[in-house]
Amino acid sequence: MLRLLHDCGLPVDDVDFINSDGKTMNKLLLEDGCIKLEDAGFDWKILGPDVEQVDYVAWVCDQDAYACSGQKCSFMHENWFKSSLLRQMNDLAARRKLEDLTVGPVLTVRVNTVLGSTAPHLSVKLVQAFSSGSKGASIVESQELKFDSENDVHFLDALPKSVDLGTYHFVFEIVLHDSEEKNIYATGSRTKVPIYVTGVIKVDNAEIAVLDSDLGSIETQKKLDLAGETVLSLSANHLQKLRLSFQLTTPLGHSFKPHQAFLKLRHETQVEHIFVLGNSGKQFKIILDFLGLVEKFFYLSGRYDIQLTVGDAVMENSYLRELGSIELDLPEPPEKATRPPPQPVDPYLRYGPKAEIAHIFRTPEKRPPQELSLAFLALVILPFLGFVVGLLRLGVNLKNFPTSTVPATFAILFQLGIAAVLSLYVLFWLKLDLFTTLKALGFLGIFLMVVGHRTLSHLASTSAKLKSA
Amino acid sequence: MANRPLTFLTFLSLLPLICFSFSPENPTDRRILVLLDDLAIKSSHSIFFKSLQTRGFELDFKLADDPQITLQRYGQYLYDGLVLFSPTIERFEGSLNLAAVLEFVDSGRDLILSADVNSSDLIRNIAAECGVDFDEDPSAMVIDHIGYALSDIEGDHTLVASDSFIQSDVILGTSKIEAPVLFKGIGHSLNPANSLVMKVLGASPSAYSANPNSKLSNPPTLIGSAISLVSVVQARNNARIMIAGSLDMFSNRLLKSGVQKAGSSNKYGKSGNEQFVTELSKWVFHERGHLKAVTVKHHKAGETNEPAMYRINDDLEYSVEVYEWVGKSWEPYVANDVQVQFYMMSPYVLKTLSTNQKGLYYTSFKVPDVYGVFQFKIEYQRLGYTSLSLAKQLLKNVYTSGVALMVTEYQFYIELLSANLQTEET
Repeated sequence: MLRLLHDCGLPVDDVDFINSDGKTMNKLLLEDGCIKLEDAGFDWKILGPDVEQVDYVAWVCDQDAYACSGQKCSFMHENWFKSSLLRQMNDLAARRKLEDLTVGPVLTVRVNTVLGSTAPHLSVKLVQAFSSGSKGASIVESQELKFDSENDVHFLDALPKSVDLGTYHFVFEIVLHDSEEKNIYATGSRTKVPIYVTGVIKVDNAEIAVLDSDLGSIETQKKLDLAGETVLSLSANHLQKLRLSFQLTTPLGHSFKPHQAFLKLRHETQVEHIFVLGNSGKQFKIILDFLGLVEKFFYLSGRYDIQLTVGDAVMENSYLRELGSIELDLPEPPEKATRPPPQPVDPYLRYGPKAEIAHIFRTPEKRPPQELSLAFLALVILPFLGFVVGLLRLGVNLKNFPTSTVPATFAILFQLGIAAVLSLYVLFWLKLDLFTTLKALGFLGIFLMVVGHRTLSHLASTSAKLKSA
Repeated sequence: MANRPLTFLTFLSLLPLICFSFSPENPTDRRILVLLDDLAIKSSHSIFFKSLQTRGFELDFKLADDPQITLQRYGQYLYDGLVLFSPTIERFEGSLNLAAVLEFVDSGRDLILSADVNSSDLIRNIAAECGVDFDEDPSAMVIDHIGYALSDIEGDHTLVASDSFIQSDVILGTSKIEAPVLFKGIGHSLNPANSLVMKVLGASPSAYSANPNSKLSNPPTLIGSAISLVSVVQARNNARIMIAGSLDMFSNRLLKSGVQKAGSSNKYGKSGNEQFVTELSKWVFHERGHLKAVTVKHHKAGETNEPAMYRINDDLEYSVEVYEWVGKSWEPYVANDVQVQFYMMSPYVLKTLSTNQKGLYYTSFKVPDVYGVFQFKIEYQRLGYTSLSLAKQLLKNVYTSGVALMVTEYQFYIELLSANLQTEET
């Protein structure tokens, strides 16, 4: 830079190194008319006489100015005035807004009284800023925030350069300008504000390997692209180990330990196992020794889906990636092995309608065809008919019918009784149930027995008389 | 002196009017007891309480450590529902304790329980008895680095925006909840052996439950979609319980706030919280999904009176009417999966009933050819609905029928008869 200035005609001995605050520098510049070159700056640009790649130059200038929140000196040759560079930069700058984070964040502090009215003249100082978790010294020395009188806010337009990703606590203090106002206003103690500085974490050197347990030699090794989708298909048995490793670095190059770094293996039966990845410096690594994990895995062999989740509150690109699957071959479970925990049943399946049941009727027994049964019926009736016909032909044998009254009545009653029993049968078939039938039969039976005994004894005595006579 | 019996009589006559709260004919709860940790919650959650009051509920606000709290007096319950918004209460003063709360639920009454970060053991035990297990570390919160809600003030990803709802119109209402629900609190898991508890709002697969301020050395016990943020239990006696892990989810601040899920470009002006908690409270207090079945009728085809017995192979017709309570009246319930079983120790016939879309369900089938005493059984259990369980018994007859059989019967009797006649004539 100095050489360029000398080349353009600056006197060689007219250089001073000054270190002062903003107000003094302002005065110097206005009064003495010198050129001020600041020491700390980001991407100075010197645009020479050759005008080319205007679009790219405009884009870079815009990026550096806003997205990186700080661009200091730039020198531009007058040839560039004729190009569209300035107009393009103007357009690019105009579209930047804080809402979509295309502008670098500016820390603003608004101070008012407890009841909401405006505060008197005061200045806000950033006293300390330290990373939460580290007890180390503050990363920024006491710095006063600039005051924007238009919007009535105090702002810090650029965070200190050493602020990396993470959670910080910024400690602010209010200092009243007018010492008399200390009697009217109370400023309270220092205010501590948690600030989350987020950014994109770079993931490098991701690889997964299957190692042999005893020898430590690598059987399969694959590079992973954790930014995109990967579909792995590995296989291992219980004598091997699985190693997954990657590196995480912050934008400023430091090592980063996220809050969440899990590796999940999910079996086909939905049984899951989670492992936390450990780190040493930037390197994150996990080695799963299947020999020791056989019991933890409930001796379940089969396909396990691998899922890697890395996330943190300050990581803008937290991700959950399905890495693929691994076929694990584990030995058979022994007798007393613990069973895997029961998996929850899907509630929608639990409550569905049941399958319909229709009753299957017994097939009726095979019956002979109608004609055969009728024919058989006729055959059965035939002997009976024949019997009746025979009776008629022979004539009813009424000779032995007793003639005298008393035995005759008994005989008639006997015949009536038999007829009654027969009609009882018919009634039973048609209407009665067994109990009433048996009751009636009981009475009839006794009656019949008495009558029949008398009749038959009478007959027997008459025939005995005939024989003896 | 004469006035006293008169006043006593008038008081007695007024008693039935006082008791028109919870009855089977009018299942919506009326009187709700709300227990709070501190009375500021009454104003910070006023939108939720107001929505309950405009629906006709009487809310009785009390501090959780008030020694005057009592749920029942002389065996009668004073309240029909209980809302526990007191996550840090260690011990209830007064007559309330874990057993009393469980008895309250066992009597068929409803409960809304909200835990939060640093909940007390008492609240966790009540939840555990209902089948819900909160994270054992009391300071753990649900953190989600991928499904968190973009917020201007919170940066540690503990404010989670979740949209994995249960698919049930009866629990969450017919209109879909468009915006995600904001949640900040503690997560829980459901006991897999419990068949009555259901996850209504779950977490995304990248969520986990841990203390955001301390590093993790062991893998957390609750991870991914196994984490449930809000669950409900529909007990067998039709009591309904809602258990949530965040008191902020009901607060005015989250009910009114907009939401944008990280990684998605959809920005919603209003979160889904208000619709979610309102619809869910309607379900919990029986304004939806409460069924009753009336007028069971069965008869032979073509007749209208119910016979005492049926014969085998008779054509049977069965009908039932089902109604659903919609907060103020019984409306006909329309569904196409109500089934009836013809049951004697196991179902012989299971048929889906057809409906006339106005609450009447009917079917007809043939009586099976098995003798015995049968029942018409309806066991209707659907997600979010109270279970219907009806049984109506009837007898079956021994008579058979069929012409061919009669011929052989006649043959049998004729043979018997002729044999008898022959033997007795000779």
